[in-house]
Amino acid sequence: MTKSRDDEKQVRDPGRRKFLKGVGIAGAGAAIADHLWIETAAEGKDAIPESLSGTVKVALNVNGQMRDVQVEPRTTLLNALRNHLEPAVTGPKLVCDMGTCGACTVLLDGKPVYSCLVLAVDATSKQITTVEGLGSPENPNTVQAAFVEHDASMCGFCTPGFVTTISAYLKKNPNPSLAEVREACKGNFCRCGTYPKVFEAALAAAKGSQA
Amino acid sequence: MQQQPQPQATPKPKKKIRVPRVVNGVEQMVEIEVDADAGPGWGPNDKHTLLNKRTTRVDGPLKVTGAARYTYDQRLPGMLYGRILRCPHGHARVTKLDTEAASKIPGVKAIVPAPLAEVRFAGGPVAAVAATTPEIAGDALRAIKVTYEVLPHVVHADRAIRPEAPKVVAEENNLQEKGKNGDPQKAEAALATADAIVEAEYISPRIHHACLETHGMVVDYRGGDSATIYASTQGIFTIPGDAAKELGLEESKVVSSVEHMGGGFGSKFGIGTEGMLACRLSKQTKSPVKLMLTRYDEFVMAGNRSGSWQKLKAGVKNDGTIVALTARQYRLGGVGQGSQAGQPYIYRMGDAYREVYALHTNEDSAIAMRAPGHPQASFAVESLVDELAYKIKMDPVAFRKKNLRDEVYHRQLDRGAKEIGWSRRNPVAGGNPGPLKRGMGCAIGTWGGGGNNQCKTDVTISRDGSVVVALGTQDLGTGTRTYTRAIVAEELGLGINDVKEQIGNSKLGAANPSGGSTTAPSVAPSVKDAAIKARMLLAERVAPLLGNAKPEEIVFSGGNVSANGKSVAWKQAAASLPAAGIAAHGEWRADLQARGVHGVCFAEVEVDVETGHIKPIKMVHVQDCGLPLNRLAMESQINGGMIQSLGMALWEGRVMDAQLGMQLNSGLGDYKMPGSLEMPEMVPLIDDEDKREAVIGMSEGCIIPAVGALVNAVFNATGLRVRELPITPDKILMGLMNATKVSTAE
Repeated sequence: MTKSRDDEKQVRDPGRRKFLKGVGIAGAGAAIADHLWIETAAEGKDAIPESLSGTVKVALNVNGQMRDVQVEPRTTLLNALRNHLEPAVTGPKLVCDMGTCGACTVLLDGKPVYSCLVLAVDATSKQITTVEGLGSPENPNTVQAAFVEHDASMCGFCTPGFVTTISAYLKKNPNPSLAEVREACKGNFCRCGTYPKVFEAALAAAKGSQA
Repeated sequence: MQQQPQPQATPKPKKKIRVPRVVNGVEQMVEIEVDADAGPGWGPNDKHTLLNKRTTRVDGPLKVTGAARYTYDQRLPGMLYGRILRCPHGHARVTKLDTEAASKIPGVKAIVPAPLAEVRFAGGPVAAVAATTPEIAGDALRAIKVTYEVLPHVVHADRAIRPEAPKVVAEENNLQEKGKNGDPQKAEAALATADAIVEAEYISPRIHHACLETHGMVVDYRGGDSATIYASTQGIFTIPGDAAKELGLEESKVVSSVEHMGGGFGSKFGIGTEGMLACRLSKQTKSPVKLMLTRYDEFVMAGNRSGSWQKLKAGVKNDGTIVALTARQYRLGGVGQGSQAGQPYIYRMGDAYREVYALHTNEDSAIAMRAPGHPQASFAVESLVDELAYKIKMDPVAFRKKNLRDEVYHRQLDRGAKEIGWSRRNPVAGGNPGPLKRGMGCAIGTWGGGGNNQCKTDVTISRDGSVVVALGTQDLGTGTRTYTRAIVAEELGLGINDVKEQIGNSKLGAANPSGGSTTAPSVAPSVKDAAIKARMLLAERVAPLLGNAKPEEIVFSGGNVSANGKSVAWKQAAASLPAAGIAAHGEWRADLQARGVHGVCFAEVEVDVETGHIKPIKMVHVQDCGLPLNRLAMESQINGGMIQSLGMALWEGRVMDAQLGMQLNSGLGDYKMPGSLEMPEMVPLIDDEDKREAVIGMSEGCIIPAVGALVNAVFNATGLRVRELPITPDKILMGLMNATKVSTAE
């Protein structure tokens, strides 16, 4: 996994389809390759992989605060936020860890990215905004308020990703059509089935912020 | 919690009521006994102030801002990260597990073997590690050397059924008979009297729950005699017993907790193998261990919806009466039993005979998934019914009504037909011109949705006016927190934010696991009972302020407590309480819930016959549920049912490699789920003609009929009957090509 992640780290666009184009053969091959690779490594003579230990100090600007964190160079931004920052930033969710679902979406300098595909060391000197940075339960942004109003979350695990993606999109396009909203969240998966309400909420948020 | 003494009456007179009940997919009316004066009920469904409204969920603000804390978000001091090593073979025995090199990696704290040495499916657990970071845990997995004795495997049903196929379990047949029902001679005789016969096989693959929060837990054990388990679970009380056993503790010393959970859909009961391994790692290290499955693990070892293979033959008279059915049903549950509702499911089919088998393969066990066994049975029988209708040239809606006795379906079919615009439909399948062909289909579904007597609710009112309702249930995203609050607030005449709920912890009053749509009909009556008792206790206290009114005459409304033309504000009423406030305890009441829901789904699709691509255009689902606790959340549940069915009908299915015995589409990038671009216009409709003043679970009911509606819409659009799910473009193109060949040959 670490290996493939390194190959993919340049892909910054959250659009799942573009991403798949970028890596070429995903799918069937990847599942098997993962296994075969594990086996080869395990059967090799010196089974201890070359030392990957060793950490570096990274300064991350998270939701307007400079935060120092000690991570391995291979640590993703997502895992740095969730597992290493103290206190943790757990709004972005770990769901697939390979850039297919969008639940870990954060903004890097205002642009949505999958934080599971960004290394923490590559996120220094950038402004990182997570769903927590967009609003709070007491003071939500317009998208967050519209999500509550339109029941656009059920289990809620995909919600931070959708909220972050749509918040960024409405800055770029404040008056989107339904088709444009669908296109904007094509890189985010929901399993409970909130899509129709997510679309409603996004369109309502757009209207609300224009009023 | 101290319980106020309740006036205890001698055994109460009983009254008998008739309620619908679903047995084996077939609904029938049964008589049950309830207390004659069971206390105030819900009242008419249209007279509520908070229930049956569009109420935004109370945990919404937490969920949309990232403040909601899920199991996956738990991070405890000194916590280790667990990972599971998986077997890459379809069937193998572990003969040697060499962990020496792995255990030398700095940061690796423990390695434990999986409970079984024989692994019957690729992806089965072999060992688990705990390390200081997830990355190091991954390094450890790669450094473990496993020696396997590889055994022959079989992963496809059509091969597993052959006598020479490798045995999934030694000495046992892969094919196991599970039951026969009806008289085969009578069914054959009735078939001989039919004017038309349809005989066909229907196949549906295994489907994944794909909960976005994977299975797993954080085991907080640091030595000593107690532990706390943060579990992503649908059943808080299914956790402590098994965890205590693994940790060697007393069950009463183990507490489980789930504040918010990221989806379950039937797959999260008990601690599971991952929980067992997490407990062992925690016990060995005396440290908190977080073991959440990876996405790959989730696909290969967290369960799935049973596949199905059904051979059906039915006969029909020209007037539309179905006279007979014979069915051979295979449940495809991998190493497990699988599930499939018995045919003819909801329909009356005269003389029906069925044989049901479990057919095993070397795959992870199927487990419960939203309406276990029902969408599979519904897909097959709704396809069959549609085929029969077209064969005798009868309208599919009229044909269904002809073979359904329950009037509720008749009204729901009429409403759904109107909403989708059934009159626009071309009755000739494939009859529309051009390469983009539209078509419509429909189907029906049923479910039980009754509650059971497991919930113990406590409502406390403090002297400062604050109100807390508490019980150990869990909110899967269905809105349990919201209606728990709303029931109490409505009873006390307060706003929803005047009441706080405490749920999600095994220290609270008992509650049932959330399966089979039993949560609302189990929780709501108990909460209502507690709320009524709290109101009466407060009324007795406040009576002196209201001209000594009788407690039952005191009105709680709009934040005021009133009687005899006098009124006091809520805060003032509460101030009359003693320092300890009021504590009322609620029990489940059978008369506040019922069983038996009905739903119908209509779908419109557009099929591009040049590419095979299917575009869903519109879906309508009409659902009853007695008293709708929260219309907004119910709409979301109905949407969710339709969308998950859309996946099953058109895109989803586990793909296995025969040679390797492995799942090929074990990630969200290649297991195709419904996404934003594929969403049709969705119309979730609540059937308010249902006047039952009772809470009935509806979440499973609304996932059942949509698959049938979609496949029937594809047929109406193209004239092509696809009998194996999912209906991917290749099946459309191959089917159309073969149909052309046949007609050319003719």
